[in-house]
Amino acid sequence: MNDRAVDLHDVQGNIIKAYPRFGFPRARYLFFRINDAKAGRGFLAKLLPLITTSAPWLKEGNAADGSARPDVATNVAFTFEGLRRLGVPQASLQSFPEAFASGMKARRAILGDDGPSAPDKWDAVWQDPDPVHLFVAICGGTFEQIQRCHDRILALRGASADAIQLLDGHRGPDGQKLPYQDASAIFINDEVTPREHFGYADGISNPFFKGSLADSSNVVGGGKRRGAGGWEPLETGEFLLGYADEAFEYPAAPVPNLLGDNGTYLVYRKLHENVGSFESYLNEASAAYPGGREMLAAKLAGRWRNGAPLVRYPTEASANQFGEEWARAKKQIAESRGVERERAKRHFSKLNESMVDFDYTEDPAGGRCPIGAHARRVNPRSALEYGEQGAFARPDALSNRRRILRRGMPYGDSRDRTDDQGEHGVIFMALGADIARQFEFVQQQWINYGNDFRRANDKDPLLGNHEQDTGRFLIESDPHAAHPPHFCSKIRRFVETRGGDYFFVPSLTALHMIADGIVDPT
Amino acid sequence: MSNHSDRAYGLMVLCPLRSETGQDQSPEAFLRDFLNDLPQHELSPMAAVPNTYLCRFFVLNDVVYQGKPAALDHLKSKYLAFVAEIHAPEESDVDEYLRLMWKLAGGGGFVPKAWQYCLGFESVTNADQFVEYMRRCQIQTTLYFNGSTDEPLAEQLKALYLKQEFTRFAYEHQGLPPAALQDAFRAFAARVRPSAATPTWRPGASSLATAVIE
Repeated sequence: MNDRAVDLHDVQGNIIKAYPRFGFPRARYLFFRINDAKAGRGFLAKLLPLITTSAPWLKEGNAADGSARPDVATNVAFTFEGLRRLGVPQASLQSFPEAFASGMKARRAILGDDGPSAPDKWDAVWQDPDPVHLFVAICGGTFEQIQRCHDRILALRGASADAIQLLDGHRGPDGQKLPYQDASAIFINDEVTPREHFGYADGISNPFFKGSLADSSNVVGGGKRRGAGGWEPLETGEFLLGYADEAFEYPAAPVPNLLGDNGTYLVYRKLHENVGSFESYLNEASAAYPGGREMLAAKLAGRWRNGAPLVRYPTEASANQFGEEWARAKKQIAESRGVERERAKRHFSKLNESMVDFDYTEDPAGGRCPIGAHARRVNPRSALEYGEQGAFARPDALSNRRRILRRGMPYGDSRDRTDDQGEHGVIFMALGADIARQFEFVQQQWINYGNDFRRANDKDPLLGNHEQDTGRFLIESDPHAAHPPHFCSKIRRFVETRGGDYFFVPSLTALHMIADGIVDPT
Repeated sequence: MSNHSDRAYGLMVLCPLRSETGQDQSPEAFLRDFLNDLPQHELSPMAAVPNTYLCRFFVLNDVVYQGKPAALDHLKSKYLAFVAEIHAPEESDVDEYLRLMWKLAGGGGFVPKAWQYCLGFESVTNADQFVEYMRRCQIQTTLYFNGSTDEPLAEQLKALYLKQEFTRFAYEHQGLPPAALQDAFRAFAARVRPSAATPTWRPGASSLATAVIE
């Protein structure tokens, strides 16, 4: 197959760039309602110069023209209703897939958003019957920089502030309603960490696809398995419209082609984490578990809290050693020069590679990483072969159609480890070319159900929508520790949905077309 | 071999419908209403027929034209389709199954009512005639239901019941000292009676809340 090159200048930056890794550990999310189509298009036209693309940033570049890293990165996306409000023609609207057109609230039965996750428990901004239309995400190094961009964007509305209404109703740290949602990496001793509020390193193993970045080392663990061993990039069409996907088809896309090309879909979900319940569950359940508290935490997730995968680091000692080496290598890079620094960098990148360079071929029975563990569910790699090598064209063939780019970030404060009620969780964002096939499938079949993993109706222990105290999780017999199988029961719902919606992330070309009112499906 | 998948049997029967009922409703419209109103799961009349792994009724209106180069063709009539996967190691077991179906599901009038507008069914008045009628309308199949083994249904239901209860036992008694565990297991075995017919799961049950027959 001849690969079509990706014009990164046309692709919005949040699709390709995981901003926290580019020095943007903080973010603010603004949501607008468009009450007047013409004013909305005018606002969008003024926003266009601020939008960050996926083009690589150069050290010698110029932030003003986008060739160097700017102070903040700004991206926009629309709900289905938002596109309609901006005047996108009916024939184009009707060409969008059902999941996106329905929106997240209407899909709650598929997503398992029930009980404490039901829409009537969501933040007020998501409760209004007239939904959100426009999503603006600002990522930056500091909230001061973000605030300047925020002010600038609001000022762009000029006299049309009523027509482009900034929506209130995001639950803030003290329960107050805020007109924005803030998110930030968790800092420990003023140092940015990749941790979420349960203490796990997050955002490891994002998919890597053709045309996405010059840095091909990300293909390890992020791509798909090559038949002969090693890794190769996933097809572009899994993540961007207008390119062939893993089934050698174009993903379903709206008409005209230019509206969809280089665009994708974004799932925004505010996921509250019940930190107090999680900590007390670890205490109670580990009392009966011979592996101890940290190993129990690792078995639930499939990774140790420092990110070391159980398949590669099956014992607590090996995981701790990994963590120490990793910290040492990081320090060495900062403190050394010349050849020594280069050596430290190589070692550091080897260690990082060991976090992602694995599949489950060597652990088909789950002795190291339980078959129902979170990471093994949401990215099963080769696990669905069940040890039957050669069952599919590639060992990970069944996973490659369900990969999602994750661009989320934690929000809130969880220093009080006994507290469920405070504001803390993850703003989960998933990007992919097909919401139903990718995100919704993972959520419905792999997180809230267990059949594909031969675990009946067991759910993801960390993310599953367990009915009150009824969650179950099997830790298979671990040959390294000579432990018998262990059953975890009475698992509570640790994560609850607090709002969100489905968005379309158009290309720069499509944004111009929408702003100019020239989307023409004929 | 068609129809057989080891000891499981795919029974597919297409019974042609008359063209009119004599009333202001077509046979297929009547049948759709009738089938749609049937109780489901453990309350279905077919749940009473032993060894029914799965069964399905529907009205077959016509075959679908797939477009060129397929030939445009139509069925001569509409059909009541009855599709069941049952436990039947021998052909004679199929006859016995149909006899029981007449006896158990026919008693409340279900079979005569469902089949009342089928061509020639007016002459069916007893189990043997029902078997003969169904066999005449049977067509061969090689498509099977993938959610069952080929064991007798009662054994499968007992096995599912035991599996469910044993899982519960394992979760509830984890970590007990061996002697206490053995005592608990004896009490468990006395309660679930692995070799006895009951307790077990009710045929057709779709919810654990109503599944167990003590």
